Amino acid sequence: MSFMQPSPVKYACSCGIVNPINKLFFCRHCPKLRCGYCVSHEVESHFCSNCLENIPSSEARHKKNCCANCFDCPCCHHTLSARATTVPVVRKTEEPKDGESAGAATPPPASSKPSAVPTTKKMYYLSCLSCRWTTRDVGIPDQGVATGTWPDNECLYQARFNTLMEYYQSVVLQEKQEKQEFQRRKAPKAHKFPSLTDRTGLTVSLIRRQIGWSEKNVPKTKPLNITPAEAISELEDLPQDIFTQPINLRNITTVAQRHSQPADQPTAVGNLYPQRRSLWIKRSLRCRQCEHNLIKPEYHPTSIKYRIQLFASYHVPEVVMVRLEHPLEAGQSNAILLKLSNPTMYDMTISILDEKPTEEPQINPDEFQATCKIKEEAVTSSPLMKVAALARQTLTKEVTREVRDVANAKIKLLESEFVLNQRDDSKEFDEEVQAQTEEPNFIVWRKGNKVLLRLQFTPAAELEVNDVVTLGFFMQYTYVNTVSNTAEKKEPTTHTLSSRLFIDAGRIEKGN
Amino acid sequence: MPAESDIKIMPKSVVCEESTLNGDITISSGCVVHPSATIIAEAPIVLGENCIVEEYATIAHRLKDGAASDASNTLHIGANNVFEVGCTVEAARIGDKNVFESKCFVGSGVTVSSGCVVGAGIQLRTAQVLPENTIVYGRQALQREAIEKQGSQTLQIDFLRKVLPNYHHLRKPNYDPKKARSVV
Repeated sequence: MSFMQPSPVKYACSCGIVNPINKLFFCRHCPKLRCGYCVSHEVESHFCSNCLENIPSSEARHKKNCCANCFDCPCCHHTLSARATTVPVVRKTEEPKDGESAGAATPPPASSKPSAVPTTKKMYYLSCLSCRWTTRDVGIPDQGVATGTWPDNECLYQARFNTLMEYYQSVVLQEKQEKQEFQRRKAPKAHKFPSLTDRTGLTVSLIRRQIGWSEKNVPKTKPLNITPAEAISELEDLPQDIFTQPINLRNITTVAQRHSQPADQPTAVGNLYPQRRSLWIKRSLRCRQCEHNLIKPEYHPTSIKYRIQLFASYHVPEVVMVRLEHPLEAGQSNAILLKLSNPTMYDMTISILDEKPTEEPQINPDEFQATCKIKEEAVTSSPLMKVAALARQTLTKEVTREVRDVANAKIKLLESEFVLNQRDDSKEFDEEVQAQTEEPNFIVWRKGNKVLLRLQFTPAAELEVNDVVTLGFFMQYTYVNTVSNTAEKKEPTTHTLSSRLFIDAGRIEKGN
Repeated sequence: MPAESDIKIMPKSVVCEESTLNGDITISSGCVVHPSATIIAEAPIVLGENCIVEEYATIAHRLKDGAASDASNTLHIGANNVFEVGCTVEAARIGDKNVFESKCFVGSGVTVSSGCVVGAGIQLRTAQVLPENTIVYGRQALQREAIEKQGSQTLQIDFLRKVLPNYHHLRKPNYDPKKARSVV
């Protein structure tokens, strides 16, 4: 399969979106095709793509999803790298004459005093290898250590931002408290035994008042007062020289540069400061119907492997378009050669249909859901994961939209179904001494788990020159499921599944 | 085609024999010319001190219609320039401490002053003047101004001067300014 050019063979996902097979997933538990739109995406872990450090999600939130050590160039948005320079250290005992010349690369062997031995110190600055921007350009002093000590640029409105944030946090807290209070009053605690106050109508606060005690009150949190923002009606006039002075475009930032520094959005290049690098995430995908994981990456940022990977190309027979027998002509019968390969360890029986086959009775959905839930509990036993599960986006009922039928050619169905052999990597190296079995005449070639198929079709007669011919059919295949949904069934079950395929065969070359 | 003898190589420079040098070329002391670098001088070229011309770099001084190919039409390249791998420079004037990064192209109408950096893969074809300390970078060839000039490549030159003679035949320095002066 070529990843560089779009595949002409597309599969319809169970949600109705058409995708090439390498963008599809296969839920073994449902068992259905899933695509990126009909699974729920979850953040598995945060990491920095530059230093490959794994950062826990709570820490990531605290650091505003930025890496603590890595910076992006404010000018061209590449990663900055630390450069070391040796700076001669000037001793205080030395004469000012030595201090003057200390800027040169080699301090002169001035006096015979032992204190005048030139000592150098390593200093670091950040530099962009793409546009040669350095921290020295904006006057950030060099640092003695390469990471960790770079100053955060505080923008002008930082204090205002902080007070606003505090204020709204306290507002949220107050609202929460009031809600709790309201709930507590609305539903009094049901005691096992009726208390005295229930019968007499006395309440705790009444008694307290009668005794003469002070009112017991939870100190209510009051939001801090903030000064509201004021609209200014009078603006300062533009400086006079704005109309007379020519603009030096090199000192003015681009829109991309301003947006990368959203807090102050500088207009002059002198105010560009290194930006902390945004974290990347590893993503896990979950089937929305049965809540099983389809994709779960390895936790470690340097690993590109998966713990769970249910890509469709591991489970669904792959169809590759090989060639057409004749140039496409409207209304003229033609044949297409398709290569089918079986990625699973079990033989598949495949048939090509032109309408959706009647579904085999599925497993009872409720029971199925229940067993899935139990499994899920076992998997996500840690408390942290449970919280995550609660916060997870609500799993919606599957919305099936109709697959738009874009096929415009008539398929001549195959006379019979055929078997696609199991995948066997060791067979690749075997000598080819396969006994010639009686093959149906539509099978052109067969080797191992691959079959070359000749499928006859006729493009619709009303097609014009340069119209795209699309073949559409249902591919029914048997799939052996090795995972069992119920505890008692252990042996693999065989399902008969079907996928709808659309093949972009090409354009009509000749008119009638 | 001018004769090979028009090439003047000053002492202390390292010029590999596999480089292609055409025309009236003066290579000042301290320069490093890598193998398969190309310098085409339809009119005279004077390469300043401590320049590095890397592999597949091309420096050309093309003759415009009607222009003389004598000493009055000399391309003077300043000191401490770096021509990185695969760049093509046909600029009208080149100052000091410039860096032409890999695979960049600088056309004949461009005047490069000093301390400029032409980023990798950038094509400058229209007639323009790069002011001092200009850095051209990125896919859209944005320009910015650096605060300070690019540092000199002394370490790199010293290293190349040590390493290149071990693996390549060198063109011998054939022109000594001190001797020439004494002769005159």
